[in-house]
Amino acid sequence: MSAATAAAPARAAARPEPRRSGARRRADVAAGYTFLSPWLLGFVLLTAGPMLASLYLAFTDYDLFRPPTWIGLDNFTAMFSDARYLKSAQVTSLYVFIGTPVKLASALAVAMLLNMKFSGQGGYRSAFYVPSLVGASVSVAIVWKAMFIDDGVVDRIQQTVGAPAGGWVGNPDMTIPMMILLAVWQFGAPMVIFLAGLKQIPAELYEAASMDGAGPLRKFWNITLPMLSPVLFFNLLLETIHSFQVFASAFIISGGTGGPADSTNFYTLYLYTKGFVQFDMGYASAMAWVLVLVVGVITALMFRTSRAWVHYSGEEN
Amino acid sequence: MRIDRTAAASRPVRTAAAGIALASASALALTACSGGSSAGAGFSDELDPDEEISLSLAWWGDDDRANKYEEAVAGFEKQHPNISVDTSWIAYPDYWPARNTEAASGSLPDVMQMDLSYLRQYGGTGQLADLSAAFDTTLDVSGLDEQLLTAGAIDGAQYGIPTSTNTLALFYNADVLDEIGVEPPAEGYTWDDYAAFVDEVEKAGAGQDPAIYGTADYTGTFWFFCQWLIQQGVEPFTDDGGLGFTQDQMAEFLELGSDARDSGVFYPIEKTKQIEPLGGFTVSEAASEMSWDNFLAGYVAETGQDIRMLPMPAGDNGPQMFWKPSMLLSASAGTEHPAAAAALIDYLINDPEVGTIFGTSKGNPAVAAQRDAMDVEPGSVDEKVVTFEEDVAGLVTEPAPIPVEGFGAIEAEYKRLGEELAYGNIGVDEFVTQWFAFAESNVGQS
Repeated sequence: MSAATAAAPARAAARPEPRRSGARRRADVAAGYTFLSPWLLGFVLLTAGPMLASLYLAFTDYDLFRPPTWIGLDNFTAMFSDARYLKSAQVTSLYVFIGTPVKLASALAVAMLLNMKFSGQGGYRSAFYVPSLVGASVSVAIVWKAMFIDDGVVDRIQQTVGAPAGGWVGNPDMTIPMMILLAVWQFGAPMVIFLAGLKQIPAELYEAASMDGAGPLRKFWNITLPMLSPVLFFNLLLETIHSFQVFASAFIISGGTGGPADSTNFYTLYLYTKGFVQFDMGYASAMAWVLVLVVGVITALMFRTSRAWVHYSGEEN
Repeated sequence: MRIDRTAAASRPVRTAAAGIALASASALALTACSGGSSAGAGFSDELDPDEEISLSLAWWGDDDRANKYEEAVAGFEKQHPNISVDTSWIAYPDYWPARNTEAASGSLPDVMQMDLSYLRQYGGTGQLADLSAAFDTTLDVSGLDEQLLTAGAIDGAQYGIPTSTNTLALFYNADVLDEIGVEPPAEGYTWDDYAAFVDEVEKAGAGQDPAIYGTADYTGTFWFFCQWLIQQGVEPFTDDGGLGFTQDQMAEFLELGSDARDSGVFYPIEKTKQIEPLGGFTVSEAASEMSWDNFLAGYVAETGQDIRMLPMPAGDNGPQMFWKPSMLLSASAGTEHPAAAAALIDYLINDPEVGTIFGTSKGNPAVAAQRDAMDVEPGSVDEKVVTFEEDVAGLVTEPAPIPVEGFGAIEAEYKRLGEELAYGNIGVDEFVTQWFAFAESNVGQS
């Protein structure tokens, strides 16, 4: 996101202005780079440099204490026989490929409710956004855990409806649903974007459809979804990438272990354990790059398929 | 970020999305940097009383310990007005990732609390200073037992000074046992006797709300396995830093809990996971627990009940317990103020005032002057710990095992597999195979 915002002034500064002298133009360029420098320095020193270093470390045996030694592709091949690695990949996939669609569906449903016209709507809009403001914080993960333990709020509700399941936190089969619910609950960001998208759909379309006798479902499939598809695509992309990065909530709920029984040992959490707890930074770096590749491939696939289902208004014909 | 998202909601979506995707993907890549530190020189120097010095000090623990450290440090700063100490502290599991990262970048604190589990990792790789150079000047170790001091050395280099000793104990909750009418294990009880006790408590406590259990699965703790090995006449670790036990021996120890695991006699793992970092014993739902004897203060504070201690279960030749040197203090090899760092360690291990401040909260103080300075009030927690250590002194017959490099990792892996075992996801055989496979690539210099 910093990439997108910081690139804008650079483009503006570099815009050619033919009437000015060469010296003036060079001064403009220099000024541009000066304004850009905080970001540029940060990018080179804090992002690009460490990324290159981790690319190198991915091919080494590095325990943080001794100089790294080159071992070629060993870290990458070791992943295939590492049961915990495979389990963490599986757990993360479940979280991403079930959690993201559910989250987007809820966000869209709520956005459509909030797009209706009735009084007090502004208050509701704020209220539904609140979880996303506090959602990333440590305290929410702690509260979440408290809600799902034995005799917690959720357990009591289950008792009243006659389906006691005990605490979810200690049950390895229930932790992923719990984590997904936590993510879904924080639907505020995609919801706001959906809401903005919904507001841009011309009302005439719905009026015309009503004239032709279309019902609400028909309008949703044939007008809302196609008109919303660019926004949907944007949200899908962002939330998928975001889901792959899940770390803090799992770290807190499992006390940093990925437990119970590795059921919340998400990819990033295992990566952290490997690098900073088990002194295998080479392996951790290799894991990081595999994740970058996987996220890259999935993103590319989404862009590819988007041509078939994303409609930018005005682009047709 | 949110502004970006909202603003980008219409046509420029495609480019913005691509930009964000790229940024997010690249932000994922983990960073690491390397660096080393030269061996610390100057530890034999005398302390210059006029030089303005700032030292950093780090430890793990809770806020109670933090208050005690702050009080002790204030005393040190008063004695040395030219030295100021910056303190930092964090819970044990998070302490090591933080130190590991600092070690990699050569920025360890000047003085830090060190555990035996990590001494080889840090000492053996040149991160810690050999403190023996300061023995004649700023650091007085004459109050320490020779054997105890040696426990902080590797190949003759003194990488850490133990500040206290701990030994393993069986804690039981006398109030809870009274309530359900079960007698605590008798003196000289064996591992089998203990298993029978756990069984009895579970039967007697099943009717309570909540149900009372004997204990959680104790076979899933690596230190207890080490204690059991010593009773079998097996040194857990060899002199050259390898493993001294076999797969069969580990399986035999784990089998001690098999019956209880299969019939649900242990405090359920599902419950433990929900109340972590507390445990069944701390919430008074389990009647006993094995642990280090300095945990007493914490147990008493958490339960508010009558907690008592017994020696560990006996093997053929008695409990054969050992003093574990604990809460070592080490200095970074890269410290810029070696003399001051040594002086701080000296103060923390020797000053009677510090002994009064900490009591037995870190274990029994290693230096007699500090032991004597403790306010041991009759009936207090400190008194119980001191009495326990005096009572069991005759049972402590073995030297502490010196952990191998990578001990922290294999200990954690043992605990993790213990969880899988408790959940019934793996059996004893798989536990042993997986643990040994892990140990093979994590023990000693890889």
